[in-house]
Amino acid sequence: MGRYILRRLIQAVPLLLLITIFMFALIHLMPGGPEAVIFNPRLDAAGRAAIRANFGLDQPLPIQYLKWLRSTLTGNFGYSFQNHLPVSSIFAKRFPATLELFVLALFVALLCAIFFGIVSAVRQNTVLDYVITIVSYFGIAMPAFVLGLFLQDIFAVQLHLLPVSGRETLGMSYDFFNSLLDQALHLVLPVMTLAFLFIAGWSRFMRSSMIEVVKQDYMRTARAKGVSPIAMLIRHALRNAVIPLITVVAIEFGGVAGGATITEGIFSWPGMGSAFFDALNARDFPVLLAWLTISACFVIVFNLVADILYGVMDPRIRYD
Amino acid sequence: MDVPEQVNMILDDELGPEIELTPALIRKRRSQTRIIFDRFMRNKAAVGGAIFILLLVMFCFLGPFITGHNQPDLVRTDLASLPPSFPNPFGTDDVGRDQLARVMAGGRVSLLVGLSSMLVALIFGVGIGAFAGYYGGLVDNALMRVTDVALAVPSYLLLFVLSIAFANGSPINIVLLIAVLSWASTARLVRSEFLSLKEREYVLAARTMGAGNLRLMFRHILPNAAGPIIVSATLLVGGNIIFESVLSYFGFGIRIPLASWGNMVAQGQPLYDVAPWLVFAPAFCIFFTVLSFNLVGDGLRDALDPYMTER
Repeated sequence: MGRYILRRLIQAVPLLLLITIFMFALIHLMPGGPEAVIFNPRLDAAGRAAIRANFGLDQPLPIQYLKWLRSTLTGNFGYSFQNHLPVSSIFAKRFPATLELFVLALFVALLCAIFFGIVSAVRQNTVLDYVITIVSYFGIAMPAFVLGLFLQDIFAVQLHLLPVSGRETLGMSYDFFNSLLDQALHLVLPVMTLAFLFIAGWSRFMRSSMIEVVKQDYMRTARAKGVSPIAMLIRHALRNAVIPLITVVAIEFGGVAGGATITEGIFSWPGMGSAFFDALNARDFPVLLAWLTISACFVIVFNLVADILYGVMDPRIRYD
Repeated sequence: MDVPEQVNMILDDELGPEIELTPALIRKRRSQTRIIFDRFMRNKAAVGGAIFILLLVMFCFLGPFITGHNQPDLVRTDLASLPPSFPNPFGTDDVGRDQLARVMAGGRVSLLVGLSSMLVALIFGVGIGAFAGYYGGLVDNALMRVTDVALAVPSYLLLFVLSIAFANGSPINIVLLIAVLSWASTARLVRSEFLSLKEREYVLAARTMGAGNLRLMFRHILPNAAGPIIVSATLLVGGNIIFESVLSYFGFGIRIPLASWGNMVAQGQPLYDVAPWLVFAPAFCIFFTVLSFNLVGDGLRDALDPYMTER
């Protein structure tokens, strides 16, 4: 197991390098790339040359890449074109909001998916099962921006139950308890939007994995020795059925840096996604490059975590 | 391919060892398709999805000629923001454009973008997957590392970044962009099919008879991998229609005045309080179209799965 993890870690390094090369080349070779943005169109040739030298753009691309890589590895992602802040400080400011939203959505989604999955597996081919199936098909086909729009309209605009967007009510000073409540209320709609899309896919997954487990011999043994149906489901079946789902959740968690972009865009959630859209509109290439690289790293790392988790939770899996 | 036992017996008993294309054989071969077709038809949801797609294609492409709502860009400020009524069944927007005509025009764009980006992605995915799986070794390693990169970067981020440089609102560029982002999973799938299929006896037999590498790959192995590829192609269409609508919704895809379901939702959103029909029609079109493609894809998967028992 230890050797397997080590081997996988070593394998991940070239992939990460490859990703940085691809992303760096993409950002710098794109028409309208960094060079087109930082130049004032009225600048003469000498001024351009000075700026190029200043930003290090006069050097050959591979050299630029190596310099960028060196500073990136030390945690310095360069400076934003927009406000000249270090990209790492923008990341540090934005990431907690995204993490909060994403973790909460995954948690809610996991609980709901397990519940709906078990219900539709146990009540297979009943009306309840069909309803859950239909709703999850709806969820898979529903683009996040349409779902977010309708939820926003129903709960915020029509019923005035929840805030429309943002992370807290601006310009209000609450005491500790009320500010916590305010933040919680702001979380509800984005979490619902994000979670609904996960629930749709995962509950189907949970259903088929549960049906698979319930058919196993040890389930019949447990039943025969007098285990009650509920205990059988929770203690015997769920533990095995949930293993594949956990790995899916781990993989999905790898999308934390980029996965909530659309939801954040709809609800003006001040996280990574909103920063991404700001950077996109301002053609802020250092931020875009950092966002692409960071999100890809998360995906790779959590794919690895998923593989390892799978082995840890299911001792039947052997890695040689 | 395996000839059913019955056919073998017929061949041995009546016709001798030389294989001719007997009526029995032809009937048997057709019945394989027939079985798949029958299985698909038994799946009510999948059939419903297929019918919806058929109706939608007719609605979008023939609708303008039949209903006469063929001027999606005609501005009539005297008819602005009308609710649905007989002359304008889907209402009109804030500058008086006929929404029915725009939904049909947007549907043509969304369907064509979804289908053609699927085709381009399929060509790349099948090509790359086939070469990687067939040749193995260094070729496989190189191609799969590129695939890993494509799979690791969250596709929406890459899509948005690419679109600011390459999209400039032209549908063809958007098709290519979406294809660039969606070929990787198909490549993975085709590679794994090729890895297992290339070891089969029939490939060896064809090679012994002198078939070249390309012929083996695309005439012999590829048809046997057709099932999973068809399924993933169907699911790709739905996914790509969502991609296009998200891109257009955030203003990086198809641009106004050219209608697309995504940018129609975005345009209708500020007017949602006074004219909700501007959002409803395109949003429901996206939703039901994607739903239908997913249902058909799942139906095809079940129908093509040789291990599924006949009920």
